[in-house]
Amino acid sequence: MFEEELKTLRRLGFRYALLQALNFASVIASGLMMWKGLGLLTNTESPIVVVLSGSMEPAFYRGDLLFLTNPTSEPYRTGDITVYKIPGADIPIVHRVIETHEAVSKDRVSASPVSKQYLLTKGDNNYADDIELYQGLEWLERKHIVGKVRGFLPYVGYVTIAMNDFPQLKYALLGGLGLMALIQRE
Amino acid sequence: MARKKQANGSSTPDGTPGVVATNHPRIDIMAATNGIEREVIKVNNANLTELKNACDDAVKTLLSRKELFSTIHTHTDIRLGLGWAGVFVAFGTAFYGYKVEFEKSKPIVWAGVILYGILTVTQALYAYFVERDTVYVGKRKTLAKRIETERISVSSRTVPAKREDPPRYSLSVSYVRSANSGKSLLGRGKGTDQRGYNEFFDEEGALDQEVFDRWVAGVVENVMEEK
Repeated sequence: MFEEELKTLRRLGFRYALLQALNFASVIASGLMMWKGLGLLTNTESPIVVVLSGSMEPAFYRGDLLFLTNPTSEPYRTGDITVYKIPGADIPIVHRVIETHEAVSKDRVSASPVSKQYLLTKGDNNYADDIELYQGLEWLERKHIVGKVRGFLPYVGYVTIAMNDFPQLKYALLGGLGLMALIQRE
Repeated sequence: MARKKQANGSSTPDGTPGVVATNHPRIDIMAATNGIEREVIKVNNANLTELKNACDDAVKTLLSRKELFSTIHTHTDIRLGLGWAGVFVAFGTAFYGYKVEFEKSKPIVWAGVILYGILTVTQALYAYFVERDTVYVGKRKTLAKRIETERISVSSRTVPAKREDPPRYSLSVSYVRSANSGKSLLGRGKGTDQRGYNEFFDEEGALDQEVFDRWVAGVVENVMEEK
C-alpha cells in the first residue's frame, strides 16, 4: 500500500520527508492555535464544551455542544447558564444561576462589583441546588466560572463522548488523519 | 541536439568553414540520463494534481543530476524554516497554556498566537509572491575561457482542459549566464512550451520517462542556447 510513497520518498530525499512531516505537523499546529485563539477571544479556557449529563434537560441533553464566553465587564445574572469548575474536581458542570450576591466592599475604588460576585447554581433537571457539589464552598465566585452559555448545537458532541468512552476511536481517527496528510501532496 | 553557433562571418574564400567559436559550454542533458535505471512512476490518471506533481518530480530528478545542475534549495528551505518555526511556536504555546492557569497564561498565549499568525502569513505571502510556480532552481559552474556561472529556474503550471483539448503541462524556463561571480552578465534566455499530459502518461497512468526527459531537455537546451 505504501510502496509508491516510499519510492517517492527515497527518490526525492530528506527535504521532501521534512516537507511531508511539516504538512502533518502544521495541520495540528493550526488546530491548536485556532483553539487557543478562540479561547483568548472569548476570554475562557474552554470556549466549546460538551454536555455530559442530563441535569439540564429539557434545555440541554447529553451530547450537545455548548459555546461559551466569559465577559469581564458584565456581571452574571439569575437565569444565566454557566459552566463552572470546582477546584479539586476536574469535570466542568453546566448549571443555571439561581442566586447572585454582590459583595459590598469598603474600598470602593479597587474592588469592582463584577469581580466580587457570589453565585448559587442548580441544574434544571435536579431536585436540589448545587451546594453538595461545591465541596465545602458556600458560594461560587467568578474565578470558578469557565463561561456563560451563548449558543448550542444538538447531538454534535456525541463524537467527543464516543472518543472518550472508546479511546481506540480517538487514536484511529488521529492515525487516519496523519496518514492522509503524509501521503497526499498539495 | 547540440548546435554549433557561427561566431563571425565564418566561411573562408575556398569554401572550408571558418573557425567556429562556441561561446559557451554545451550541455547535453540526455547524455546524463543514459544508463540510469528508473523505477516506473505510476499515478492516478484522473487527478490533475498528481499528474503535475509527477511531472515536476521528473523535472527535478532530471536536472539535479551531478553532471548537470546543482540544486539551489532556497525556496524549500525558507518554507521549511518558517513552517517548522510556526509548528514549534504553536506546540510551545499550547503546552504553556496547558501547564499554566488560564488568567496568568494569557499574555504569553497572546504572544504565541500572534507570532504563529505572523509566521504563517509570511510563509503564505512568500509562496504566493516570491516562489509562485517555481519547481526547480539550479546552477552550474563551467570553465570555458573563464569561470562561468549559469543559473536556471524552471516553473510549471497546468493549463486546464478545454472542450477538445486535453489538459496541458506548461513548462517555463528562465536562464542567466554570468561570469566573475555574477558581476558581468553574459547572456540570458527565457522559454516556455506546453504539451498535453496525454503525451506523457498512458492509460495506466505510467509516465514515459524517455519522452518526457527528451522534451524537457529540448526546452532547456533551447533556452540555454539563445543569447
